[in-house]
Amino acid sequence: VTAETLLFFVALLQGGSIVVLIAVLLANRWLRRRRRDRVAPRRMVLDEAIKGWALGDVGPELVVRGLEALPRSDAVEAMLAWSVRLTGERWRALAEALELRPWTTRLRGAVRSRTWWRRLEAARFLSVAATGADAGVIERLLKDPHPAVRIAIAVALEQFATPRLVNIVLDRLPDMVGPVQAHYAAVLRGQHAVTVPLLTERLGLVYDPGLPRIVEFSGRMGDARLREPITALATHRDAEVRVQVARALGDYPHARTVTVLRTLCTDSAWEVRAQAVRSLGRIGDAATLADLRSRLADAEWWVRLRAALALTRLGAAGRDALLLAETGAQPDARYVSRLILGLSPQALSEFAA
Amino acid sequence: VNAFIHGFDAAVVVYFVFLNSFYALLLILALPEIWEQSLLAEDEDLVRLQEVGAPPPISILVPAYNESATIKASVTAILTLDYRHYEVIVVNDGSSDDTMGRLEDAFDLYEIPSTYPETLSTSPIRALYRSRTRPRLLVIDKENGGKADSLNAAINASRWPLVIAVDADTLIEPDAMLRLTRPFSLGLRIAAVGGTVRVANGSVIKDGRVVEPRVAPRFLPGIQVVEYLRSFLYGRLGWNRLGGNMIISGAFGLFRKDHLLEIGGYRTDSVVEDFDVVVRLHRYMLDRRLPYSITFVPDPVAWTEVPETLAVLGRQRERWHRGLILTMWKYRHMMLRPRYKRIGLLGFPFFTFGEMLAPLVEVMGYLVTVLGLWWGFINVSFALLFLLVALGYGMILSIWGILLEEVGFRRYRRAGDLVRLLCYAALENFGYRQCTVWFRLKAFWSAIRARKTWGRMTRTGFAAAGTGTTS
Repeated sequence: VTAETLLFFVALLQGGSIVVLIAVLLANRWLRRRRRDRVAPRRMVLDEAIKGWALGDVGPELVVRGLEALPRSDAVEAMLAWSVRLTGERWRALAEALELRPWTTRLRGAVRSRTWWRRLEAARFLSVAATGADAGVIERLLKDPHPAVRIAIAVALEQFATPRLVNIVLDRLPDMVGPVQAHYAAVLRGQHAVTVPLLTERLGLVYDPGLPRIVEFSGRMGDARLREPITALATHRDAEVRVQVARALGDYPHARTVTVLRTLCTDSAWEVRAQAVRSLGRIGDAATLADLRSRLADAEWWVRLRAALALTRLGAAGRDALLLAETGAQPDARYVSRLILGLSPQALSEFAA
Repeated sequence: VNAFIHGFDAAVVVYFVFLNSFYALLLILALPEIWEQSLLAEDEDLVRLQEVGAPPPISILVPAYNESATIKASVTAILTLDYRHYEVIVVNDGSSDDTMGRLEDAFDLYEIPSTYPETLSTSPIRALYRSRTRPRLLVIDKENGGKADSLNAAINASRWPLVIAVDADTLIEPDAMLRLTRPFSLGLRIAAVGGTVRVANGSVIKDGRVVEPRVAPRFLPGIQVVEYLRSFLYGRLGWNRLGGNMIISGAFGLFRKDHLLEIGGYRTDSVVEDFDVVVRLHRYMLDRRLPYSITFVPDPVAWTEVPETLAVLGRQRERWHRGLILTMWKYRHMMLRPRYKRIGLLGFPFFTFGEMLAPLVEVMGYLVTVLGLWWGFINVSFALLFLLVALGYGMILSIWGILLEEVGFRRYRRAGDLVRLLCYAALENFGYRQCTVWFRLKAFWSAIRARKTWGRMTRTGFAAAGTGTTS
């Protein structure tokens, strides 16, 4: 075979490939349109059935039939969309009606799939249609290696937060980034009865390397019963734990909290001091005025800024303190006070967020 | 002479085969990647994360130099994004036009004192402004120091842990931020993430939003639609799989601020600060053996106005290629070093030999083939067949990019747009490609002369009189 012949065949192959690619492009358009034309009317029927069922005009069978008429992915999508609007007993009745249908059995079986997108589809479905019998499946999905699957199934905890399942979440906290942690906290906030005792127990494990994340998570939960165990960690030797304690306590206005935060205002780590003054600002106790004023002269810029911002939240007394510092002898305090006093209320609220 | 010409031709063929095989590899790798990404893109959990306020807060940095034509529309679009926690920092980089005046009029600005330490050194700041109507907005008016300098000034003023650099001539889709933060929300160890930049020319734009994407009917911007699709939808997706994404578009790239500060921010002496910062980020993370990834997510979209004249296009492409040459040269110590893993062993060789030297090889190929034909050393039919195969390959890559767009996202819904895309994919190889080769070739000369100019970009603005379109 000469080079020229080879090139000729390559050119032919390329021509063929171009024709195939264009054919795929056109076929893709046609198939999509066909699918849309087929699915859209069925979706409308389903939406009408769900509306009727929500009003009590029809039974759940009609909704189940509507879901079965859709392709599986569209049915799951429709359920996710409606689950936001319809909750409680009525939705649970639908989940039970769906439990033994062949397509939902197949979806539940997909939690063992080797492909993550099948597991994700199962997780999405179970997040809104799990029943009491699904605890084992939920546990498996909470431990799934793919993060999207774990995030999807988290919503199921709103209904089925058992100590075992919540412990799986808490075990994973050190590896979770802020947004995912916030998502779990939002989901578990309605499950205090299960979550708070488990968190209290973990807050007592002072040598646990994952303690900072536990404290952070406890802060997000905002349950008054967690205040005391969080406060007890204010003298922890790990600065990161103290940072999280100082931050979390801002959500727990209490005389004891204020005392602890005042101590943390003089912590050796500036990150702790910055969080402590921020939290004092959030609590807004006039008795802390002197502590905040003294932090205006802190060695660290961020602590000074946070202290000045905190003072703006103490009303006229805080403003007077800033005005005094603006003309005072301490240059750092003078500068930061001038900065903050120059901000509009709008900008202040932005900064204080 | 005969031996030389044949030898050179053989070398060009080998180069051609290697390069195109690598492109084919990227193309194949892009398939599972786009499949996974489009599945995640449809994920309703993103919306749920938004509802509970979980997505991380972001500072959007908008450097603006002589952007009076587009500044109001683009900042308005950014200020109305579908995202809960973000601030917008616009930096007027000593514009000589009315950019600052437009900002003052549009957003009712008032001066405020500086409330942050200058971590990265920048050109002097003239003043800082907040808006009475848009509390999220902060405007920095500073002396001219270039785009990198503006970004550094904005990083100094930013409050949030993630920063995104957005060009002032870019229109961001409302849900783009939510989509762009998906890798962070999934808990991946991300150092930076880039989204897709698409061509806005020709699309219907209303209130700073692309409401109906269209393929520009004019030849030059139309061809760039195909070019951008190809570059983003299989080039960068393929690199995701290879673990070495080296380009995060400066027009739309999200970074962890702590990493940016650790590497000293953007370099003001680079003409392609986005490429430079990503290479330095790779080097920093790999030197310290820190776990990280720099990834590309295709579904968040930003729309940009591309050059409509050859002169402006030439300046842009010359600068891009000059930046590539200078960056490759500057960080040449990373080349083929196992310490730098896939970046050193795969990314650098590809960008040096496959991208940087490509115009040189192509021009040499044209020249030697013409000479060979002239002197009768090369068979005419062979030369024509080779040219046909080379052009055919380019066409396949372009159509593949269009196919990925159709399968994954399908923004261009009109049949006419699809036809246009296919026509441009075919026409791109006749004239346009040779022009870009010439522009890139000129970059070698300017790189040797160490020019640091950017070249002027002429913008028509996103709302051309009365029509609401860019063309």
